[in-house]
Amino acid sequence: MIKVLFFARLQDEAGTEALEAQKAGQTVQEIKAWLKEEYQLSSLDQAMAAVNEEFANNEDTLSDGDTIAFIPPVSGG
Amino acid sequence: MNDRYSRQILFPGIGADGQASLQTKHALILGAGALGSAAAETLVRAGVGELTIIDRDYVEWSNLPRQQLYGEKEAEAKMPKAVAAKERLQAIRSDAVIHSLVMDATAEKLEDIAPGLDILIDGSDNFDIRFILNDLSQKYRIPWVFGACAGSYGMSFTIVPGETPCLQCILPAIPSFSVTCETDGVIAPAVQMTSAYQTAEALKILSGRTEAVQTKLTLFDVWKNQHHAIQVGKTKKDTCPSCGTSPAYAHLAGADDTKMAVLCGRDTVQIRPETSRSYDFTYLETKLSRHGRVQKNPYLLSCALPDYRLVVFRDGRVLVHGTKKVEQAKAIYEKYFLS
Ligand SMILES: [Zn+2]
Repeated sequence: MIKVLFFARLQDEAGTEALEAQKAGQTVQEIKAWLKEEYQLSSLDQAMAAVNEEFANNEDTLSDGDTIAFIPPVSGG
Repeated sequence: MNDRYSRQILFPGIGADGQASLQTKHALILGAGALGSAAAETLVRAGVGELTIIDRDYVEWSNLPRQQLYGEKEAEAKMPKAVAAKERLQAIRSDAVIHSLVMDATAEKLEDIAPGLDILIDGSDNFDIRFILNDLSQKYRIPWVFGACAGSYGMSFTIVPGETPCLQCILPAIPSFSVTCETDGVIAPAVQMTSAYQTAEALKILSGRTEAVQTKLTLFDVWKNQHHAIQVGKTKKDTCPSCGTSPAYAHLAGADDTKMAVLCGRDTVQIRPETSRSYDFTYLETKLSRHGRVQKNPYLLSCALPDYRLVVFRDGRVLVHGTKKVEQAKAIYEKYFLS
């Protein structure tokens, strides 16, 4: 089981701040693809991903108990 | 007067030598909107010796809920933000040396002023300029403090050349989609929180306390009371085109080609003539007032046409409000300025 966190606009798009899923053993890329399909998260490709509060690459694999957070870039100022 | 900075000196992180250091430093504030206003005020009050403020826009009513240096007088007069900011900041501290530049922050202009700068503070609202800032920071070895916010959400990250990853390590390409104030709105506490992180970092760097610099990407949501700090150390790459072993600084090279720019989410196109030109405002006023109501101040002239609003700056830039289409803006520009 892994935990997924969404920030900013992604929370509104997904309709939730967090969810749990049986995705241990999958890569960040695979989890993104699944979330895009399941929650229609069009902007997920632009988002940065962090696993256990450390920046993650698309190729990184998640382990049981990991938390992955998706952080959309924000440009306003 | 003598105890003006006494509380900062008492603060152990800064101390007397840190305060003395601050007072000899020169900060660039790039963009004088919400984040730029907040950073400029904090740094001027803190005693930073010299500030250069660059902004291409003027004060509008929709700025007032969060752009703390401006009030109704400036919105009514459509004062350029850089000019209004300097006026307010000099009232706060008369001995601050403040340069205000009403212009586009092009790579070329930034390279001219970079050698004298000690820090770059991001007060901008788009990633094109942030990638220019990032290259500038690496090429001239000047720390820069990225900050951005929208809605109730914000983030900040400090980039120290030679030590931390750079913006391009974290974001390999300019995001084609990002959360902006125009699409998602924004509340002042998100600005203030972002600015608090940015200016705390600036005070550390300018007072010489580089060991205290935050190396994580900080992000938060002030409405939902969420707060995260993401480790980014492993994103630093030798192959990075900005901070790697053979940098290209591509954003400093090609960036000046943009003569037409759609202003971020604002239903506005900016047109910048190839060579900077200055208009005869009196002549322009006579000519344009046949088409719509004209308002002017020493820095800009604005004309309300039936479907668009034109704003002309002294440096020759024209903003066409009411369209996002470059071709349409160009046609309007040619009709009123080139014929
Ligand atoms: Zn880099």
